[in-house]
Amino acid sequence: MENTIAVKVDDLTVAYNYKPVLWDIDLEIPEGVLMAIVGPNGAGKSTLIKAILGILKPIAGSVSIYGKPYEKQRQLVAYVPQKGSVDWDFPTTALDVVMMGTYGSLGWIKRPGQKEKKAALEALEKVGMLAFKGRQISQLSGGQQQRIFLARALVQNASIYFMDEPFQGVDASTEIAIINILKALRKAGKTVIVVHHDLQTVPEYFDWVTFLNVKKIATGPVKDIFNDDNLTKTYGINYKVSIQE
Amino acid sequence: MSSAQIEIQLIASLVAVACAIPGTFLVLRKMAMISDAISHSILPGIVIGFFITHDLNSPLLILLAAFTGIITVVLVEYIQKTGLVKEDTAIGLVFPALFSIGVIMIAKNANDVHLDVDAVLLGELAFAPFDRLIIGGTDVGPKSLWIIGMILLITISLLIAFFKELKVSTFDKGLAASLGFSPAIIHYGLMSVSSVTTVGAFDAVGAILVVALMIAPAATAYLLTTDLKKMLALSIGFGIFSAVFGYWVAHWLDASIAGSITTVLGLVFLLVYLFAPSKGVIAVMYREKQQRKEVSLLTFLLHLKNHDEISERHVKHLNEHINWQKVRSRSVLDLALKNNMIDIENQIVSLTKKGDEFTSKAIDYIITNRDAQIEDMKDDFFLFRG
Ligand SMILES: Nc1ncnc2c1ncn2[C@@H]1O[C@H](COP(=O)(O)OP(=O)(O)OP(=O)(O)O)[C@@H](O)[C@H]1O
Ligand SMILES: [Mg+2]
Repeated sequence: MENTIAVKVDDLTVAYNYKPVLWDIDLEIPEGVLMAIVGPNGAGKSTLIKAILGILKPIAGSVSIYGKPYEKQRQLVAYVPQKGSVDWDFPTTALDVVMMGTYGSLGWIKRPGQKEKKAALEALEKVGMLAFKGRQISQLSGGQQQRIFLARALVQNASIYFMDEPFQGVDASTEIAIINILKALRKAGKTVIVVHHDLQTVPEYFDWVTFLNVKKIATGPVKDIFNDDNLTKTYGINYKVSIQE
Repeated sequence: MSSAQIEIQLIASLVAVACAIPGTFLVLRKMAMISDAISHSILPGIVIGFFITHDLNSPLLILLAAFTGIITVVLVEYIQKTGLVKEDTAIGLVFPALFSIGVIMIAKNANDVHLDVDAVLLGELAFAPFDRLIIGGTDVGPKSLWIIGMILLITISLLIAFFKELKVSTFDKGLAASLGFSPAIIHYGLMSVSSVTTVGAFDAVGAILVVALMIAPAATAYLLTTDLKKMLALSIGFGIFSAVFGYWVAHWLDASIAGSITTVLGLVFLLVYLFAPSKGVIAVMYREKQQRKEVSLLTFLLHLKNHDEISERHVKHLNEHINWQKVRSRSVLDLALKNNMIDIENQIVSLTKKGDEFTSKAIDYIITNRDAQIEDMKDDFFLFRG
């Protein structure tokens, strides 16, 4: 397989109020991988994703999606933010939140119609949330909210998916449901990048991994680089995980 | 009704609608305070505009003053970004400063300026019909009506055009940015509309009422609906109702119109706050009481399920076995009987088949917290509605 690079990050430095939280990141993510980004709290994982997606402006460096700047490639990218980043008391329904995923392809001013609604309903079906389509979003459980976010990304029908902690606060069965959807995406040739905290499940869920803590520690295939050495470098403490072969 | 009365109510209603639309988004963005800041800090803009134009209704004055509103927002954000103080503190620093600059400018030029602070803050709706717009010799109506009408027209057009952008950037700024809808553009757009509305309305109704009309109807509507479009419609409705009803209250009591409208806005909010069907104080209290009763019911059913001994199931002894201080055992027994969950024979209580199934299912739910299986129970029991 000739490796196409889906996402390329060059010398990226991102700061909040002139205090850099990501230093000089170089990263190449090959097309078709299911990649975990791991690192301690405050390592800059969310910041990295936001900078790639143009939500934050880096103070140095550049990002390209299939060789072009993000602004030209928006349609190829879908994003699932960290769950706590939105106001779940906002007056809207599950279906409406999923519809928001279609706004990007509509562009400014144009409004969603039947086609967009149908796509949103299909996405809800895929994540097993069709029955909840009319439910106000604050009346969903944490795992259900996460599924709604996932459906919203699916409806974007992108090539590259960025997900910030999609497993946060979900039970075992939802976690399995979500990972199966992610694996199906990879099978369909999509690139999926996931911020992940549960190190135990990295080898089982992912085939690619990036260690991040302010700087990039390592990136590559899980089977080659997911080891105690990199974990210790990333988390600072002497880290031991047992990886089953 | 005289034509002046109709005109006053019309102006007040249009202002209410023009305020309710940006107000709804300000409330959802938790930015209610910023409208207060804008309403005060436009004063220097108005004074400067007045020096230049000598006309409180000139569009140039409105734009200049609205620009001061934007400066307020920018300054607040700048101070906040330093990370030294929180947003509310930043607001508290900026607007008194700008406001006092305006006050000083008025005081210094008191002789040439026909303008006073009271007029800016409180306005005088009763006088609005006297300032007429004359085009080519014909009287086409009060000036304020035209000004606020124009602003409302622009606001409504912007709302219709950018409804989806406003919605997505209010709900999820990150998603909006990643989709290419710059949250900054939308944010400053909303701030501009709020500023222009505030300035356009101050001459007629005063800056204080503008704030009340922006925040109170939206806050009231928020308690009543879980649909953004309905929330907008309800805020507009509450705004118009308060404007018209407030006018008549002022008429009957011979009081200030702006003051009466503000009072009505407050009362409407209070009523809804108390009586709103699901978020209201009384509904919440009722729900909690029901929940308490249902927990007792479940405890009681579980007790029956776990104990076969007759002595444990005698109506008279239930109180001793289950610790029921909070809820009268009678009401729990009634609830269980009404739902066919228990039989009582010779004072001995036993579970029916339905009661047995209900108990198992409920316990299973409480342990696993698996929502899907109890969808059907949510209609009848508050306990499972989360
Ligand atoms: N809006 C902000 N303003 C200032 N500092 C911020 C902001 N957002 C994040 N930071 C800081 O930047 C650093 C990286 O934050 P980021 O959210 O990217 O971490 P993360 O790796 O996603 O952590 P977590 O695992 O807790 O989600 C942290 O030190 C955080 O305090
Ligand atoms: Mg994060």
